[in-house]
Amino acid sequence: MAGDPLDALRLPVVPVDPRPEFTAALHRRIEATIEGGADPGGRRDSPTVRYFVDDLELAVAFYCRQLGFEEELRSPPAFAMLYRGGLRLLLSVPGLPGAGAALSDGTVPAAGGWNRITVQVSDLGAALEALSSAGVPVRAGITRGIAVRQALIQDPSGNLVELIEPAEGYHERT
Amino acid sequence: MSTVSVRYIVDDVDAAIAFYRDHLGFREQMHPDPAFAMLTRGDLRLVLVAPVPAGHPGGGSRPMPDGTPQRPGGWNRFMIEVPDVAAAAEKLRAAGVRFRNEIVAGVGGKQVMIEDPSGNPVELFEPIRPEARLARQ
Repeated sequence: MAGDPLDALRLPVVPVDPRPEFTAALHRRIEATIEGGADPGGRRDSPTVRYFVDDLELAVAFYCRQLGFEEELRSPPAFAMLYRGGLRLLLSVPGLPGAGAALSDGTVPAAGGWNRITVQVSDLGAALEALSSAGVPVRAGITRGIAVRQALIQDPSGNLVELIEPAEGYHERT
Repeated sequence: MSTVSVRYIVDDVDAAIAFYRDHLGFREQMHPDPAFAMLTRGDLRLVLVAPVPAGHPGGGSRPMPDGTPQRPGGWNRFMIEVPDVAAAAEKLRAAGVRFRNEIVAGVGGKQVMIEDPSGNPVELFEPIRPEARLARQ
């Protein structure tokens, strides 16, 4: 699994003709290191989430076209890796070798559930309208929470993605 | 914006906080309401919410407009990279943590799934050598 693109530079052989995705990933990695400040280990793990999807191509298209993810690599038919900001999203297909493989008791992983990633947007209303008109299912329209407004959309396999818009005057603290 | 947020639905926020803090190295950032807590681990922000009724001020775990409640579980999960998954698993097993499967070796590395007290999965992942990582198409 391509964890850290900088690992390529630690190998005796450096890719002569890196793929554009690799270059982009390397660029992000360097920027993240700069933003993240001192990283004594020389390594900063990207928060990584695995989603199960029934159709890899559909899922990649959804996350890249509708939510601004970038494709890092694709290993059809079972696996893809996408990035958005600091988030690494792994897509695995249930029933295929890899993370989607059945457990020893025969249980097969499945898409769905309620746990989800959140994607921050600056204008939730506009984002939801754009997604909706592109045919993306909206599971729950805009609700107001504490310090945020939020909505839930579904990917083509029914996995939830939460869109959040920070409320006026609310500043992200890290 | 380097922080990434993931929301997990849990039955008991206090029990979940203890689990993620004691076993997986999360830090509690805030726990202003019995049904809500925010933890962090590196750049990952984990938001833990218990299902709340429709009128509750916190919006993340209310029922859907059609009344469907949100519940823990499922298969989607965040991952934690560990240098030695077998050692990590042994330690967690000794501490009484539940496992959903045995360690499996995939293309990218070895992995195992544990469960939080509400049954939500967390994947522990040990990547294999960089050469192997780059061998992927």
